[in-house]
Amino acid sequence: MRALDGIDLEVRAGITGLLGPNGAGKSTLIKLLLGLVQPTSGTASFLGFDVRKQGRQIRSRIGYMPEDDCYISGLSGVNAVQFSGCLSGIPKTEALRRAHEILDFCDMKQERYRMIDTYSTGMRQKIKFASAIVHDPEFLILDEPTAGLDPEERETLLKRIHLLASQMGKSVLISTHILPDVQAICDDVVILAQGKVRLCEPLVNLNRTTAPSFCVRALENIDQLAMVLEKDNVEVIKNPDGTLTVASHSSELPEIIWNAAFQSGVSIQSLIPARNSLEEVFLSTVTDSPSTEEEN
Amino acid sequence: MPIHDVGYRRLKNENNSSLFRWLAICRIGVQLAWKSKWVKRLMLAAWLPVTYWAAGFFLVEKAIIADQLSAIGEAGSFNQFSTLALTESITNRFWIFPGVNDLQEVFRTGDIPEIRNTVWRWMLMTFFRYPQAIIILFLVGFIAPSLISQDIRSRALLIYFSRPISRLEYIWGKLCVPSIFIILVTTLPALCLYIIALLMSPDISTLPQTWDIPVRIIIATFGLVLPTSAVALMLSSLTQETRFANFSWFAIWGLGHGTWLTIALATSLQMGRPLFDPAVMQSDIVTNWSAISLYNSLGSLQSYIFGFETFAESWRGIISLFGITAFSMTILYRRISSPM
Repeated sequence: MRALDGIDLEVRAGITGLLGPNGAGKSTLIKLLLGLVQPTSGTASFLGFDVRKQGRQIRSRIGYMPEDDCYISGLSGVNAVQFSGCLSGIPKTEALRRAHEILDFCDMKQERYRMIDTYSTGMRQKIKFASAIVHDPEFLILDEPTAGLDPEERETLLKRIHLLASQMGKSVLISTHILPDVQAICDDVVILAQGKVRLCEPLVNLNRTTAPSFCVRALENIDQLAMVLEKDNVEVIKNPDGTLTVASHSSELPEIIWNAAFQSGVSIQSLIPARNSLEEVFLSTVTDSPSTEEEN
Repeated sequence: MPIHDVGYRRLKNENNSSLFRWLAICRIGVQLAWKSKWVKRLMLAAWLPVTYWAAGFFLVEKAIIADQLSAIGEAGSFNQFSTLALTESITNRFWIFPGVNDLQEVFRTGDIPEIRNTVWRWMLMTFFRYPQAIIILFLVGFIAPSLISQDIRSRALLIYFSRPISRLEYIWGKLCVPSIFIILVTTLPALCLYIIALLMSPDISTLPQTWDIPVRIIIATFGLVLPTSAVALMLSSLTQETRFANFSWFAIWGLGHGTWLTIALATSLQMGRPLFDPAVMQSDIVTNWSAISLYNSLGSLQSYIFGFETFAESWRGIISLFGITAFSMTILYRRISSPM
């Protein structure tokens, strides 16, 4: 079985979201980049280093926050972060000072002195995040960073990640299943499926639709408006929330919609450009992948 | 915002050399092991035999001085502490221990430097081989089984291997944890005993007479540390459950030595002699099967290092320990290198 096959991926600086269904090869790709698993064939380089031969150089430049709930039993939070710093080569005293600074940054207060075994999932996530950034890495790999966090903590963590990328110049790769997280902070999106890269695009491009479209909300008789629009050779989709998505390659689409409203006597409440949601893009990319079609 | 909230700052410092990153692993392992009350109690218990052996060195030096005084007709009340009396006492009390015959022979020569060197070596060998070996069995049994099994259970291997740490550095760091405790209960007290013995001797001339003993102590430490730590860590790497590794550790010692004792008992019954009779212990079947016991193999190595067994007598134990260490290290490396 090939977990990854013919991956050719170039990631820009900034925040990149790594998406894919379960078993797509996301975790394998991350472990490959870290040198934790070796490719059976081919080559791979990361930050200019060969992942086969220069794993140590790569790992000294990156911070990795694993998805798994991993910790060293018996250590306090601050000691765990200090230990991560020491493993990256920071001298013991400096690592302790740095651990306190990072835990302040992560808004972890006195609970940092408690045994890590007694922490909640959210607190362990904070410790994992702090351990990943304690040595000031160039590149951050975050595997499901917001898993198990409550909405407030999730938002705070996303802000921290965004701050690291925007103000401290870190490149970040986030592997997640939570699409709103990607939509909130990512600059680029990579979608993996069946071990292959199916899509690698800036998020801005994904937010544009192939044909210009508008989302129309009317006060009443939306079906009548739809009938008139369909007569004008415009593609009309009725949404479950009672709105219409109207698409056409015509550059005069707004005028067409206003005319149709006039003809049908319908008052338009709102007319806004429609955007493809990331979820739609994700589902269409994963569903359209050749292997899925073969399986189907 | 709290006054100490400084936000994220760039790190400006020189990193440690990558050669010493295993030290962090070792330090944290020692720190965690030291939290156990049982480890502290065992460490305390491990130093108790030092008082008994120190008293032994005192008696040995007193007997040697008595011999020297009687040679010049000044023995007085020291007469009863002669080396002859001492050798009889040792032979009667410790006839079961290896090397007693060597002591008798050297006492007969009357060569004081040679007597001192041999007796000191013999005492330190028995110190390593009997009380400290038992302590090590328990100490390593408490410390080592959790070292890797706990990392596997809590998936902490990802914490190590996502850092610039190689598999060998990880293993080396972990090996150093039980090794440090073993050194603290064997090498350190043995060196202390040597210094005590030097202080009890009449003059500084004893130092050139016994210079080889600290070297033997250090070599004996390596002989103890490597196989025991390697086996214990190998067992720890095979399971997520520390108690299974604990059980396996004690089972290896118990079953190996138990089997050998059964063979020795059967032989003694066949020969109609006591169990630890030299004739039984030196019989072919008992010596051939001796290497099945880790305890015997370590003892045999200690006897060889301290000069009370020849290579021809101890090769089984040495080969067995070498094989056990190589096997354990191979398994350990393979377990650690398996894909995560």
